[in-house]
Parts: sequence; C-alpha cells; structure tokens
Amino acid sequence: MVTLDEVLGSGLLQKPSGHDAPEALQRQITAYKPLQTFKLEKTRPYQQQYADIYFLRLTKIRPAVEAAASAAWEGTVLGGEKVKRVERVLDVRQGELCWVAGTVYMDMPLKPSILEDVSKDRWISAPTSVGHYYSGNGDDSIMLEDDSGRIRLVGNAVQNHFMVTGCIVAVMGTENANGEFEVIDLLFAELPPQPERWSLSKGKKEETEDIEMMDASFSGHPSKPPSKKIAIVSGLEFSNADTSYAMELNLLLEYLLGEALDRSIQRDELSHITRLIIAGNSISTTANETTKAAAFDTTTVTNKFQPQQHKKYGYDSSCYNPIPSQLFDNFLSELLPTMPVTLLPGALDPANASYPQQPIHPAMFPQSRTYMSPPKVGVGKDRDVPVEEEPGWFDNVTNPWEGEIDGWRVLGTGGQNLDDVFKYVESEDRLGMMEAMCRWRCVAPTAPDTLWAYPFQEDEPFVIKDCPHLFFVGCQSEFGTKVIHGPDGQTVRLIAVPSFSETREIVLVDTETLDVERVRIVAE
Amino acid sequence: MEDYKTYLAENVLSEDKVVTYRLLSRALRVHPNVAKQMLYDFHKTQSTKKPGSVYATYLLYGIKKSIHHQNGNAMDIDLPSSLPDADPVDDDEVPSYTLALIQEDRLADVLKDYETISSIHVYSVGPHPAKDLTLLVDAAQSALAIKDDAKKPRPRTIVNSHVRRRERRGPGLKAAAAAAAPVKPESKAKAAPTKTASAKPSPVPAPAAAPPKTKEETKSATPAAGPESPAAAAAAAATKKPAPSLKRNTSAASGIMQAFSKAASLPKKAKTSAKSTPAAEDTRVVLSDDGEDDDDDILLPKPGASSSRKSRKEREEELRRMMEEDEDEDMEEKADSPAPEEEEEEPVFEEPPAKTEAAKEEDKEIVTTTGDGRRRGKRRVMKKKQIMDDQGYLVTIQESAWESFSEDEAPPASKPKPKVASSAPPAVAGKGKKAAPKGQGNIMSFFSKK
Repeated sequence: MVTLDEVLGSGLLQKPSGHDAPEALQRQITAYKPLQTFKLEKTRPYQQQYADIYFLRLTKIRPAVEAAASAAWEGTVLGGEKVKRVERVLDVRQGELCWVAGTVYMDMPLKPSILEDVSKDRWISAPTSVGHYYSGNGDDSIMLEDDSGRIRLVGNAVQNHFMVTGCIVAVMGTENANGEFEVIDLLFAELPPQPERWSLSKGKKEETEDIEMMDASFSGHPSKPPSKKIAIVSGLEFSNADTSYAMELNLLLEYLLGEALDRSIQRDELSHITRLIIAGNSISTTANETTKAAAFDTTTVTNKFQPQQHKKYGYDSSCYNPIPSQLFDNFLSELLPTMPVTLLPGALDPANASYPQQPIHPAMFPQSRTYMSPPKVGVGKDRDVPVEEEPGWFDNVTNPWEGEIDGWRVLGTGGQNLDDVFKYVESEDRLGMMEAMCRWRCVAPTAPDTLWAYPFQEDEPFVIKDCPHLFFVGCQSEFGTKVIHGPDGQTVRLIAVPSFSETREIVLVDTETLDVERVRIVAE
Repeated sequence: MEDYKTYLAENVLSEDKVVTYRLLSRALRVHPNVAKQMLYDFHKTQSTKKPGSVYATYLLYGIKKSIHHQNGNAMDIDLPSSLPDADPVDDDEVPSYTLALIQEDRLADVLKDYETISSIHVYSVGPHPAKDLTLLVDAAQSALAIKDDAKKPRPRTIVNSHVRRRERRGPGLKAAAAAAAPVKPESKAKAAPTKTASAKPSPVPAPAAAPPKTKEETKSATPAAGPESPAAAAAAAATKKPAPSLKRNTSAASGIMQAFSKAASLPKKAKTSAKSTPAAEDTRVVLSDDGEDDDDDILLPKPGASSSRKSRKEREEELRRMMEEDEDEDMEEKADSPAPEEEEEEPVFEEPPAKTEAAKEEDKEIVTTTGDGRRRGKRRVMKKKQIMDDQGYLVTIQESAWESFSEDEAPPASKPKPKVASSAPPAVAGKGKKAAPKGQGNIMSFFSKK
C-alpha cells in the first residue's frame, strides 16, 4: 500500500535543484557470441526431397535414445520374459517382448497432408488455418517408423506423453494380434550434454570481468554490483492500423533507453539491461492484408466490367504499407545507440516462411542497418564466414537462433515451432512442450511435416546438439518460466515470452543466475 | 535555467500542446531527469496559481500488490521422469514489475494497489486531462523528431561506450551512384542484342545508313504519312480503348520526329531515352544519326527505285493487316506499355517480326539468308518424300531441304504441310470410325421415328 503523501516530494517530484545535469551512466555490456547453426547458404537448392531430414534426425538421435533405453531396460524381465532389443521396426515379432527405437509419425485426419493436396490438385499450399490437428475423438493414431517400416503404437503409456510427428522415441512392449504395438514403457533421448559456461568464449571472460570492474568503479557502486540482465521481448507488432498499444511501445523504448524513471532505478536496473532480444513478430501485417484484399476486390471488378486501366509492376503503394517497418526501424535506431539488439524473425516478419527463417534483410532497416555488421563482399557461402568476425551491434539472426550470452548457451525461437507442436496435443501446457522439445533433442520436431522447413540434405540443424542453459520461445499467449534438469546435471531455464502486443510484457533475464523478472507496461 | 517556464507556458498554455519530459529534454537540451523535475515544478506552480489549468500524467514503477497469474503448469503432463526433481518454478516467485502511466486524477487510487513504488515522476503536462492516449503518442513521436545536432548533443541518461557502427562505406551515396551507373549500361546492353539482331540482316549497316539519309529526307513525307495514317485510323476506330490513344501519341511523335530535321530530332530522342527505359531502344541512334529510321534505312533497298516502291506497297499492306490484328490484340498488349511503343516503331520496318505466323516464319528464314536489294534467298523447309523401299513398301519420310525463293513468292505454308503429311493415314482411319457411328445414328433415328 502506497499513499500519495509518501511519494510526493521525493526523488523527481521536486523542483529542479539547479545543479547542472547529472552525468550519463554507462550501460553494462555482456559477452555475446552468436552461432551460425541455422544459417542457410545464400544459393540453396530446393529440389531435394524431405526424407533426408527424417533419416538424419533418426541417425543423430537414435544412439542417444538407444543408450537411454538399454540403460533402463537391459535385463528387464516382465512376466517371465526378458526384454529383447530389436534393430528395426519391421523386426518386431508378434507376442515377443521387445523394445525398438524410431521416429513418431502422427496420423491425424485434421492434419494438413501434402499427399492429399497433390491428389486433389491443390498446388498452392496456403498456411493451414486449423487451430488443432488433435481431434480428440480417437481418430488419431500414433505410428513408429524407421527406414524399414511402420507400426501403430497403442497403450496408455503413449497417451501419457506429448507425442508429435518427428520426435525420436524408444518403446518397449509387444505386438498384439491386431499388429499394433502395445507400449509398456516409452523413453526419449533426454537432455543432450550441456557445455560448460563460457565454453565458446573462454578467452573473453577475463576481459569482460575487467570491464565489469572498471564499470563498477566508474559508476561509483562498488559494493555489490547489481547483476546484469538481458531483455527479451516478442510480438512488438508495429502497426499503423492498430495504435492501441502505441503508447506502451513508447514507454518500452523509454524504459529500455533508460530515460524513464529516476536516477537510482536508472543506475541500478535500467543501465544493467545489456541487450535486447526481439523474438519474432516485430511488424504487424494486419493492415496489409486488409488493403491487399481491397485491392484484390477492385481488380477483379474492373476485370469483369471494363478493360483494366493499367497494371502496376513492382512497388505499389496501395498494396504495400511501409509504415510498420518504418516505425520499427525508428524504434531500433533510437535504441541502438545505447543497447545492442538481437533480432529474430517471426511468423509475421518479412523473412522466408519456412524454418529456419533467415535474417530479415538489412534493407528493411534504412536507419538502423548502420549498426549491423557490414555486408560480406564476395563471400558466397555464409558458412565460410570466419569465426572470429565480430557480430553486429544490431545482429539480425536466424529463427531458431543459438548463441552464447555472457557464457550461457542460449537457444531461442520465434515461436512457430512451439505453436505447431501445440496443435498436436490436447494440453495447454506450453512450458511442458518446451521441456519435451529439449528432451526430444529437437527444436522443431514437426518440421517438415506440418512446420514448413528447408529440405536439408547434409545436416539436420534442428537436432539440439548442445543443451542450452536458456531456452526461450517468443510470441506466446502468456508468460511462463520453468527450470528443468537433466540426468547428467543439466539445468535449463525455459521461458515462454509473451507477445507484447497482447500482454504488454517483457522479460528480463539475469545473466548470472538466469533468474527471470517480468515487466508489465501499462498506459491507462 | 528558467527558460523552461516560458517554453512550457508557451507550448502548454498558449498552444494547447502536451509536453512530455522527453520533448522538453530534447527541445531544451536538458537531462531527462531534470526535465521531469521541470515538468513537476511547472505543474505545481500552475496548479497553485490556477487549479485545473494543467494536467499531468505520472509514470511509476513498482510492484503491484495482488498479482494473479494463472499458472500455465496446472495441467502438467508428466514427462518421462527418471527425474522427479524437475521443479517448475512457481510463477508467483517471478518478480513482476509494472511500469504504469497514470492520469493525475487517478494517481491516488492506483497507488493503493502497489506494494512498493520504486520510482515515480511526471511524464507529461498538458492543458487537458489526457483522455486519449493518442495525444501523448503524438507528443512522444514529436520528441523523436527532434534530432541530435552535432553541436549540442542532447544529454542521455545511459550511454554505451561500446557501441559500434560500421563505417559508412557510402552505402547511401555510393550505392545510389552505383545503382545509377549500372542501370545505363545495362539497359544499353539489353538494347544492344536486339539492335545487333536487327542490324545483322543487313550486310553493310553503316554504309547503307549513310547514303539513304538524303533520300530519306525527300521521301520522308510519304513514308511518314504511311505509318501514321493507318495508325491514326486504327486509333479513331478504337477510341474507346485507352491503349490506341497512347499509341497514337507515340506514332504522332514519331511522325513529327521524322518530319523534323535530324539535328533537331536527335537531342529530343536522347532526352526521352534518358527519361524512360523503354525508350532505351532508341540508343540505336548511335548507329546512324537520324532518329529511329535506321532500320528503315538499313532494310531499304539501295538500288532499284521500282522495287523499293513495290516493297513499300507491300509494306503498307502488311501494315494495314497488322493494324487490323492489332485491334484484336489490344486487350493483351495494353498491359505492358513498352510493347505498343515498340510496335509503333516497327511499322517502318520492312518485315514486322511480330504478327502473322507465316510472316514470322518467313522473317526467320530471311534473317539467315537475306541478300542484297531484292530479297532472294534460301529457306529451310520440311519436304515430304515418298520412296519405295527395297521390300516394295511405300515409305513417306520428311526431310529438311533448302528451297530458294524470291520476294514475290508468298511464304510457303510450311507448317500445315507436314501436318497433312503426318496426319494423312490417321485421318483415313478416323473417317472409317466416324462413318460407323453415323450409320448407327441413322438406325437410332429410324427407331425413334417409329
């Protein structure tokens, strides 16, 4: 309970003292090293088949699953029968107690199917509008497949777990008379090995410590320097149609800039926000769609009743609305002088639609792009980029994105992967799904089945090789956080970052403890 | 230091504006925190002078008392847990701060909901209670509009000494220049192949261009009228359609060009070519220096005035034919503006490479074989040959052969010929088939009559 009298006359609620302006605070910095895990080559072919992704994923994750399974089930005797390991799905014999590993495939009537599209001659695939593939009436069936064949999984053990297409599991049980596999137990790969903190940038640690010391003495706050933070926000959705949260966006900018609030807060909290991560959906396209629809209507009408006046090629100001991206660019260019920004594209952003989304093109940011790393001249393949290159101050990255911030391994996405997993299951427990993704060791298991993805050939980057310390997913309906632990002492902080346009919330993560705070911005 | 009072009085009281601390800070180049105090002081003095004359909004930051978070973990499906120690952190443990913008009159009420307030300050001062936040948004945006100037940088609360910008390697200027530069050669290059393609047929382009120049001037009256009049007629016939009007413009322009002296036409052409990309084709003026009539000159037979007259007649006829077809094709052509213009230039060509299929085909052949003056040459045609093989069967084979032709000859219907040849046997079979149903039909009608 705070009363008006308490606050009056304190801090900034008094006459200007007449002293000259206080000197500027120095913003803290954190070590930052992005990884190029999800970067695609500029000249990438799309001719190849998708089957390789499943094959690669199975080959990569199966050893871990089998190791976990044999540790758990080796020598288990059930009903007088010893559990036997079976190499391939097709080798499962009826009535024999065995275990086998493979890829899960969900057969769901509501799920969009490419085969159906092809058979019905629908060659232009639109994004699905189905909210849930899960029908709940028992029409859905779960299959386990590998390169040899497929078997249907039944039993309560299956129902107790999240199951989506593409995750790799090991199941133990028997094949029944119907040719279905009665699952008694089921195992995942569990969390991958977790790298030590500062594993990527060991050399930089001392350096940053020095800076830390210097900064601490500089700000005249030697006692216990408040820990540094990174801010994560998603779903800014700059728009010129919906201005209902324009004020909140302004306040957010002032908050991050450190212009809002009083000096003690600025010194102890705001100046310690060392980086902003934007996890998708920075630009709203709602206005675009309406104008586009209108334009479409008029063209069809004119086509019918009168010869069309003229056709516009290229830029058409009536179809393309540049204002949202301009607003976003302004926002960034205001913020960038004091804070580095990592930008992940999201579902609404002007990047490619298929996973992994590639960085938003710098041309979208005429003002802020000067903070980006300079374009590589004459480098055709991005993977050839020398590792030592300094990341841009304004780093536009892929979605999903992996990197190291202050020594912690961070994995983040713009939210499409979680949204798609969400459609497979009945539950609303998004944190649980995030946990499941970590335990499946796959950041986008439903790609390429229902989540559009690039047809990878040589590598399957969605497999989580190194367990992150921090795993965040953007553009979610509400905030959530959780810490999960793995069998080998791995600890992962999961954060569901809410969409700012809906919740007006941002998330602050402590870079020492990975503790989470949330800040809600209200303008009434 | 006191000038903030005059600034605020002017903006808030006289001009009815909302002033935020950022706007004040940027306008007066004072530290934002000082600006907040200025706003507070202004608000206080004005309110004591005349209550209700100014209204403030406050920005506060703190922890709200009763926070109800729905916990997303309620329906926890248990994951394979070989590890029962997966501890979901209760959301309530997550500290949740609120940054709130509050109207002056609601401040006392809102404050009651807070457990602690870490910071509070005046956000803005305006002449009215800010019912609509859009006014504030505008004020905030206008603050952004005040840019830094190098002389007196605005004071910042937090700076970052580590900020890096890439050095501007003239991405703006250089890119613009680079963009401007390559465009020219590119369009030129694009135009070049067509130019060379059209120029190739004539074995001696430059000499051919030079002598007829004088001739061209005397002639210009008639040929100019030639292309112009059908075009005008076509345009008149189809005034409803927008494209012909466009066409007429260009045709008129070209007519005028032709009427003009070369010296006058050249710069004008250059100007238009600089303006519009389709006109880039006019870069062929470099070939010879009289306007667009190069191709005309090139293809015009040098000797033999009679043949030239003949060819002109032929040309006119072809033009008319083309114009008739043009009307049909208008609907499609309208879409792209370069096409009509191009076509307008084509009438003066000997052989319009577009229109009838036969003409097109002939054109193709001619390109390879056109000789001098009267066009005479060889063309490749598919010929049907029937031979008896060693077993006594008649075998029909097709083979390409060179056929010589002269200008008077109509282009052979080379297309239909092989078709007939190839489809002859099936046609017979088809006939037989067709005949059978016919008979049946008769029977049916016979039955139905009864």
